[in-house]
Amino acid sequence: MLKIVFGENEKALYGPVWFQYNYEITWFHDELVQKMIESVDKSRYIDGEYIESEVLGPISPLNLSGGLKTLISIYENPELVFDATSCGGNCAKWLIEMGKDKDITINLKYIMRFRDHQPFEIFIVNENRYVRTNEEYVDLAIKYI
Amino acid sequence: METKRLRYEFDIKRNITVILGDSATGKTTMVELLSAYGRFGENGGIKLESDVPCVVFAATGEKWQSFFVDVEDSIVFIDEDHPFVFGEEFARYACSCSHYFVIITRRPLFNLPYSIDEVYGIKTTGRYHFPEKVYHEFYHIYDNALPNTVNNKYTFLLEDSGSGLDFYRNAFGDSICRSAGGNSGIAKVLSELDTEVVVIADGAAFGAYMDGLLSVAENKTNVILYLPESFEWLILKSGIIMGENLDRILAHPEEYIDSKEYFSWERYFTSLLMHITENDPVRRYSKVKLLPFYSTGKNREAIIAAMPEPIRRLYTKD
Repeated sequence: MLKIVFGENEKALYGPVWFQYNYEITWFHDELVQKMIESVDKSRYIDGEYIESEVLGPISPLNLSGGLKTLISIYENPELVFDATSCGGNCAKWLIEMGKDKDITINLKYIMRFRDHQPFEIFIVNENRYVRTNEEYVDLAIKYI
Repeated sequence: METKRLRYEFDIKRNITVILGDSATGKTTMVELLSAYGRFGENGGIKLESDVPCVVFAATGEKWQSFFVDVEDSIVFIDEDHPFVFGEEFARYACSCSHYFVIITRRPLFNLPYSIDEVYGIKTTGRYHFPEKVYHEFYHIYDNALPNTVNNKYTFLLEDSGSGLDFYRNAFGDSICRSAGGNSGIAKVLSELDTEVVVIADGAAFGAYMDGLLSVAENKTNVILYLPESFEWLILKSGIIMGENLDRILAHPEEYIDSKEYFSWERYFTSLLMHITENDPVRRYSKVKLLPFYSTGKNREAIIAAMPEPIRRLYTKD
């Protein structure tokens, strides 16, 4: 289940920096992580800490985008709350996808678009309620953002 | 700014530019390159051509003011996750200094009156990265053809509560025009309306509110969003007022507007219109109350004619 806390949340972790100092090589062996690397960063995981980027050439995990670093951190550490404001709209489908397998809680300070990923089921922590349509989601999001 | 693998090209027109959009478009890489250039210059393999100095903000959040002590008349790039940019203190500083700011953030900056025209994503073609506008002046979200004239199902939802509201009430009917009481109320009021709606707000200061408004509008049908620079800009554009260099000013406002004097272009166009008309009691413009010169007859029609076609179609002559 994807759970969202809208608005200010001082305890939410900042993924792009948290990832730098906490990632583990084994995370990249996961099929979903490799799919996210291809989808979000247009890059390909090769082996060890070697990733091939379309634009930058050979890169290390430290050179992945801030959004992808946050996505991977969320997926590999579902017990932690990350600020997914550093994730752009192209991360939305992966958050929905992760929420199908795991309970993850994210903080959002902008209205991430989930419109193209309906049907979904998201739990809005601020309101203690589920939303299942984009209309319900946006109605609650604009109360807090 | 250019390296062997990457090239970024931007025109910075106003004092606040916001960069947002998808992940992995090169926003942080751009800031990292600028930062490396600041430290190593061309010795770092980065070329930079700019009319004014470009600097990257680098300081701890609580002491952000100290960074600006030695910075003058520069374009200051601020990467995401510097919470001070959302505060009132920074807004006051930004409104009174001579810098231009490029701020990378998806979170809206509600304390800063930035334009919908200066919110960009970064588009990439090979090694080339260039800005792409995220928002537009006009949206028409519909499922059926709009009626040819205003019917009683229509609501005009306006941010304005002064002269702008007077104008639209005169032109489209008192009962269907409603003020949202400012930018922050528009998305919420729109979400509660079950009529067809025309939303009109000043684009010059609506950047922070645009995402919320669009998110709500996308869930509706038969919604028109019209975000001209400002009502005063619309009057100047309509041709009913003559002024020195006016055509040139309207085509290239960035060449005439001093950001230190006018933080938002909306304020500049208001000041310009008031200045041009100040000695003429028939045309004297005020933001509070609109004179009949603007709200009646041929002049009213000229202002309507400056609007996009779907809104013009909703207007009926007296």
